[in-house]
Amino acid sequence: MARKITIEPVTRVEGHGKVTIHLDDAGKVTQSRFHIVEFRGFERFVQGRPYWEAPVLVQRLCGICPVSHHLAAAKAMDVIVGTGPTGLPPTAEKMRRLMHYGQILQSHALHFFHLSSPDFILGMDADPAIRNIIGVAALNRDLAVQAVLLRKFGQEIILATAGKKIHGTGAIPGGVNKNLSPEERDTFLKGPAPLTVDQMIAWSQAAIDLFKGYHKANQDLVDGFAVFPSNHLSLVRKDGALDFYHGVLRAVDADGHKVLNDVDYQDYLKYIGEEIRPWSYMKFPYLKSLGKSAGWYRVGPLARLNTCDYVPSPLAQKEFETYKAYTDGKPNNMTLHSHWARLIELLHSAEVIKELLLDKDLQGTKLVKLGKKAAEGVGLVEAPRGTLFHHYRINDDDQITMANLIVSTTNNNEPMNRAVHWVAENMLSGKPEITEGMLNRVEVAIRAYDPCLSCATHALGQMPLEVTLCGPNGNVLDRKTR
Amino acid sequence: MRPERKRPGQKNPLSRLAKKPPRRVLVFGIGNPGREDDGLGARAVEIVAALRLPGVTCDANYQLNVEDALTCSAHDVVIFIDAAKRIRTPFAWSEVMAGAAAPAMTHALGPEAVLTVCAGLYGRNPEAHVLGIRGHRWGVGEGLSPRAEGNLREAVGFLKEFLARRPPMKGAAK
Repeated sequence: MARKITIEPVTRVEGHGKVTIHLDDAGKVTQSRFHIVEFRGFERFVQGRPYWEAPVLVQRLCGICPVSHHLAAAKAMDVIVGTGPTGLPPTAEKMRRLMHYGQILQSHALHFFHLSSPDFILGMDADPAIRNIIGVAALNRDLAVQAVLLRKFGQEIILATAGKKIHGTGAIPGGVNKNLSPEERDTFLKGPAPLTVDQMIAWSQAAIDLFKGYHKANQDLVDGFAVFPSNHLSLVRKDGALDFYHGVLRAVDADGHKVLNDVDYQDYLKYIGEEIRPWSYMKFPYLKSLGKSAGWYRVGPLARLNTCDYVPSPLAQKEFETYKAYTDGKPNNMTLHSHWARLIELLHSAEVIKELLLDKDLQGTKLVKLGKKAAEGVGLVEAPRGTLFHHYRINDDDQITMANLIVSTTNNNEPMNRAVHWVAENMLSGKPEITEGMLNRVEVAIRAYDPCLSCATHALGQMPLEVTLCGPNGNVLDRKTR
Repeated sequence: MRPERKRPGQKNPLSRLAKKPPRRVLVFGIGNPGREDDGLGARAVEIVAALRLPGVTCDANYQLNVEDALTCSAHDVVIFIDAAKRIRTPFAWSEVMAGAAAPAMTHALGPEAVLTVCAGLYGRNPEAHVLGIRGHRWGVGEGLSPRAEGNLREAVGFLKEFLARRPPMKGAAK
C-alpha cells in the first residue's frame, strides 16, 4: 500500500517546516522532501525605514539568533556610512566580536547538549520520553548542569555587549554604543564561580572528549550516517583562519579544490544565485560558476572547518588538527561530524572570548567612526548555523529601498534535503513498519544542520513538532506531536 | 497533559490565596515585541516591573530557554506571561507543572519543559502559572493591536490582584 509520511514541526507562526516521504505499494521510498515555510515579508517591511534602524529592526526576524541578524545588518550599515567592513575603531570591532562569539558559544552549547546529545548518550532508538536533556541528566547530571551554565555564560556576554536581552542596541552603523567596563570584564574572568571563562574553556574541551568517546564506540554510525559529497562555503579570514565575524568568501568542493577563491562578499551577487523550486517556499542557493545542479553547498560548522586553513586559538587548533587528520586533510562530508566541528568551534569561541576579555581595547572610548556615505552595503557574518547575508540599498532620504537576506538555513536547504533523502533511502525504504526510532533518524539528519525553524513570532498552543502518517489517498494513519 | 484553563470570573483563583505566606515571585514575559501582539508578554512585564513590588523579579525574553530553569529554581512562584492565540477570553490563567519531557527540535522551550529542567537539575518545583493573553495580530511591527491592548489591561489587572493578595517576600532579588 502506498503511503506518505509527514513530519511537520509546527513551531512559530512562520518559519515552520515539515518532512514528506512518499512510499510506494512495496514500501520503497519514491520521493522525500524537507519543506520550510520561510518568512519573506521582512524584506518588504524594512523598505522605507531609516537605514540606522536596521540593526535593531532585523532582530524582529528571529528570537533564536537575533545577534547574528543584528551584526550582519550593522556590518552592511558600516559600508553605507562609509566606515567600511574593516574601518571600525578597535573597541567597536572587538565589542562586536565579543558579542558574536558569546552568541556562538551559547548557541553551540545549547545545540549539542540540549538537542543532540540525547541521541548520542541515550541512543536514537531510546524512548522519546527520556530522549532529552532530563534523560541525559539522569545519567550524567554534571553534564546537564554544564550545558545550562555554558548557555547562561554566553547569554550574559550578549547582555553585556548588546545592552538588552530583547532588541539589543549594542552595534550601530559605524561602531557600537558601549564598551565593556572593568567590572563587567572581571565578572567574566573571575566569576562568581563556576561562571568564569576558564571554566567554559574546560567544559568545552570536555564536551569534545565526550563526543570523541562516543565516536570511538560508534564509529560506523557516526562515519556512515547521511554521508554525501558537497561543496562547502564560509567566510575565512584573509590568511585562511577560521573567523566568524569577518573575512572573505571561500568555497571548496568535496575534494578540497577551491571553487570560490577568497572573494569580497560585497560582490556576492556575482557568485551566488538562488533557485526557486515550485514545491518549496524556500530558495535553493548555489554557486553560479558551477550552475544550479552542481553548485549547491553546505554552510555551518562542518563547512567552516572544511574551508579554513587553521583555527586561530591554541586548544581548538590542536583539536582541529586531530579532526583534519581523520580525513587525511580532505573535506569532511560526514553529516554527524557536524557535531564534532561544532564542539571545536565551541572551544574556539571560549578561547577567543578570553583573549578579548584580556584586551584593554574593550575599555576604549572611541566607539564610532563615520566616513563618506554610500548607497549600498552588504554585511556577512558566520552565524552559528552558517553564513548569513544581509544586503541593503538606500535612497537620498536615508530610507532603505531594498533588502535581501539569505539566512543560514536557506543556504543549507539542499544539503538538508539530501540528508533527509539519505535517511529515507537507507533506513526507511522497504521496511514493513516505520518506527519512532526511524523517524527520529530523519530528525537527527536535520538537527545536524541546526536549522532555525522558529524564526518568527510564537504563541501558546502551538506544538513544536507534529508527525503525520498518511495513507495512499492522503488519509491520516497516525499523528504524533512533540 | 495541558493544564485546565480557568476563565476569570467563573471561579476566582485568588480567593484561596489571601493567607498564604510571602514568597519570592518571578514574572517572566515571553515573546517578540517586534511581531505585534507577540509582544504582549514583554509589555505586561514592563508594567509589572514599573510597580517596583518588593520580592518580585521581572524578566523577559523572546523565548524560554534552558538556562531560565536556573532562574526559576531561585523562586517560589513563577508566572509565565505569553501571548495566546487559541483562547476565547481576553486572558487565561492556568497552573502549570513540570511535565513529561520530550525530544527537542528547536532552541526554545515551553513552560512545562523549563519546569521539568528546574526539577530535574535543581530539585526545585516552584508553584507556577501561565498567564496567556489573547493576541490578534502577528505581523512584523511594533505596538499591540487595540484589542490586544484591552486584553492586556484586563490581564494585568488580574495579575496585580494576584500579587497583592500574595505579597512577595521582602528582600528578594530584583
